[in-house]
Amino acid sequence: MSGRLSPGIIVILALLAGFVFAAAGADLLAHNDPLRQSLLMRLRPPGTSTATTSYLLGTDDLGRDLLARILYGARASLMVAILSVSVSLLVGAMLGLLAGWFRGWTAILVMRFVDTMLSIPAILLAVLTVAVLGPGFLTLVLVLGLTRWPRYTRVAYAQTLQVVTLPYIRAAEMAGCGPVRILLRHILPNIAGPLMVVATSEFGLMILFEAGLSFLGLGVQPPYPSWGSIMAAGRQYVQRAWWLTVFPGAALFVLVLCVNLFGDWLRDRVDPQSRSR
Amino acid sequence: MTAPALHVDNLSLAIGDTVVVDGIGFSVAQGEVMAIVGESGCGKSITAQAIMRLLPPAIRHVGGTIHLGDDDITAIPERAMQAIRGRRMSMIFQEPQAALDPLATIGAQIAEALRQPLSRTRPAVQKMLEEVGISDPGRRIDQRPFELSGGMCQRVLIAAALISRPTILIADEPTTALDVTIQAQILDLLRRLAIERQTAVVLITHDMGVVADIADRVAVMYAGRIAESGPTEAIFAAPRHPYTALLLASIPRLSDIPKSQLATIEGRVPTPAEYGAGCRFANRCPRADARCTSETPKLRPIGPARLTACHHAEAMA
Amino acid sequence: MSATLDITDLKVHFAGRGGTPIRAVDGVSLSIAPGETLGLVGESGCGKSTVSNASVGLIPPTSGSVRVLGTELAGADAKTLRAIRARAQMVFQDPVTSLNPRMTAGAAIGESLQVRNLARGIALRTRVAELLEEVGLRPEHAARYPHQFSGGQRQRIVIARALALRPALLVCDEPVSALDVSVRAQILNLLVDLQTRHSMSALFVSHDLAVVRHVCDRVAVMYLGRLAELAPVDTLYTQPRHPYTKALLAAVPEPDPAVQRVKPRVPLTGEIPSPANPPSGCRFHTRCPIAIDICRREVPAWRPVGHSQVACHLA
Repeated sequence: MSGRLSPGIIVILALLAGFVFAAAGADLLAHNDPLRQSLLMRLRPPGTSTATTSYLLGTDDLGRDLLARILYGARASLMVAILSVSVSLLVGAMLGLLAGWFRGWTAILVMRFVDTMLSIPAILLAVLTVAVLGPGFLTLVLVLGLTRWPRYTRVAYAQTLQVVTLPYIRAAEMAGCGPVRILLRHILPNIAGPLMVVATSEFGLMILFEAGLSFLGLGVQPPYPSWGSIMAAGRQYVQRAWWLTVFPGAALFVLVLCVNLFGDWLRDRVDPQSRSR
Repeated sequence: MTAPALHVDNLSLAIGDTVVVDGIGFSVAQGEVMAIVGESGCGKSITAQAIMRLLPPAIRHVGGTIHLGDDDITAIPERAMQAIRGRRMSMIFQEPQAALDPLATIGAQIAEALRQPLSRTRPAVQKMLEEVGISDPGRRIDQRPFELSGGMCQRVLIAAALISRPTILIADEPTTALDVTIQAQILDLLRRLAIERQTAVVLITHDMGVVADIADRVAVMYAGRIAESGPTEAIFAAPRHPYTALLLASIPRLSDIPKSQLATIEGRVPTPAEYGAGCRFANRCPRADARCTSETPKLRPIGPARLTACHHAEAMA
Repeated sequence: MSATLDITDLKVHFAGRGGTPIRAVDGVSLSIAPGETLGLVGESGCGKSTVSNASVGLIPPTSGSVRVLGTELAGADAKTLRAIRARAQMVFQDPVTSLNPRMTAGAAIGESLQVRNLARGIALRTRVAELLEEVGLRPEHAARYPHQFSGGQRQRIVIARALALRPALLVCDEPVSALDVSVRAQILNLLVDLQTRHSMSALFVSHDLAVVRHVCDRVAVMYLGRLAELAPVDTLYTQPRHPYTKALLAAVPEPDPAVQRVKPRVPLTGEIPSPANPPSGCRFHTRCPIAIDICRREVPAWRPVGHSQVACHLA
């Protein structure tokens, strides 16, 4: 397999790097405090500047700098996505590995649990959990992380079943490896590819979920910025201040699209059979 | 001498810019078994696919002709080719079970080669099953592939391939997936049918034992080129290419002294990306000299009906 | 001196469809002396691979006994199995799937030493380098991953991995059948060389009679879960007693038209029956060219005939 990257994937990787950079460097990139209100500067259009500062993307209904809020919003989006994907990947992969290794009753129990989880509407579950635990960043991560693991379990289970039949697993037994070492050193690395493919597609979904829940007021709480809550607030001003919905919406769209395209590319690399010729 | 049933001339195939089959040529007469033998990656299987014009999209035909009788099939439209496949030219494969439709009865699959429903061709199909040595054909005709063993499935494929009386049968490793006792049966069957039906058989194989068993003539391929070709007996008795000689010496035989050293060919087959100037076997060849690494040996006549592509062929006599 | 491997009346049955057990191995006894190589030949489904897996405890016997250097593997606990695998190692058929693609050659070869705390750090690296050289590779190959090697080189790594613990018994399950002809000879020479140099015992499983003849001292022929014949290598090939052995020998295509085309054919009709429903009496009688009435009724005894042991009423 050649290591060369096509121009398309380079653009995607560059855009993704841009988002990560924006989120990580929000403190440096934004020259206004995303929380500082200024009632005199309410709903100013993009490009407004004053003697002391400028608002490249305009301001919101409380006179806060939209650019700063989008940059900090990116941080919220990515943090939620990274943490919730990590939690669900960890839980899901572990359950799948164990089900595939022990098979029998363990597998039946785990996989029926997976089926049950997958038949509950995710948004409903999220709304209920938030209602019980109260909204907030941590709740969001836990809700998303602990409801989204079943897809990883399915993939990990199916892959483990395949890999355990391979002679190199017999060879590891012959070498004297215990089950833990076989699972972590011999099976996990060889099912990591397909799991990463699931993780990327889930990553895009998590960003959308975070935006959706925050839009509904169940996610990141005001005054802290999130793309969803910015859009929710901008909804009532959509006639007068289009920028409040368009800019965070565009950011969300481009980020999720990049993540999904990256996921497709990754899948082709991991599983060359699925590549279209 | 009549025109050969199949004549391949200077055929070249490429993946992207890499030439993987480089100017090979051979011909097969009616009723003759011609073996193309070589190790994996030598280009023998894609040569077979090129003759059927069933190359995967990544592989391009970049030169040479393939004559079926008087028709150059590299130059005819795909529609015409579809009429040729299965009628004038048929193919059987290494994994017989994978080559059959698991849901259709074997009778229906054989009838399909006649492009007519089984209801109209039942007697002919049953007769064909008998001819390929399937016992109780009246019952077998309505069975499905999973009810048959691997050897039996290969017989069914042969029946489907031959029922339309093609002039050419291409057999791509037809016995590799079978046990030896079954292999012997299938080889005997192929030999008998080739003679009885005057079919020209192109046999693709890696097994010199199979070649020795049923091939009239053989072309030995190495790294996309023909190393030598000629009558089977003559080539086995006195190979005129060092690769053939070494390959034959490296095969364990029933007559070997136990635990004796086998002759080996050092190194490994080059990948197409590693193909350089000169003879492609030069880096593994005990006879190689400066000329071998600079000048590509042409396939040239040496002895009756024999060709070799070695600068040192005369020294091997 | 006691046998390195001693198998007595081994039976391995698998659960089949509809509750009928598949009798993959159905009463096999054989033993391998120190330094000896025993060949086990037969066609697909005869149970030869199951015997090889049972010899190193990878498949538990349904009944019977498998002893490696005197230690019983039937019913042994994980600790005993782990200990015995330090003395009995395995070379697998397919060099592609028998190496973990995410592990370097060095890590694969050194793993058994590492997990058994037999070597670490520099000592481990030195030992891995030694093993690589022993199988004809270079020490710097340790850092490479399996996909960077050719098929033959991978099989060398598999062999080095099996040798790491200096086993007394090497079980080779079709070690050259996935390899190209020109590479096959290299690997066979290497196996014979290593086996003699370390005076290891070996169980060499193969479908290829010519290969088996080349590397073995004695050869056992298996048919449908049972042994048909067992004899010293020369006796088996020059004086086969069992009609199945004769048929197998006749079916091997010799790479020499002068020999092959005048060779008498022993045509075996029919197909190999299913091990879920083996024929009565002698299991070979459905395909045997000389079968008579008693063959259908009575299971032939395992008895000595000349230098051979045969299970045939008519041998």
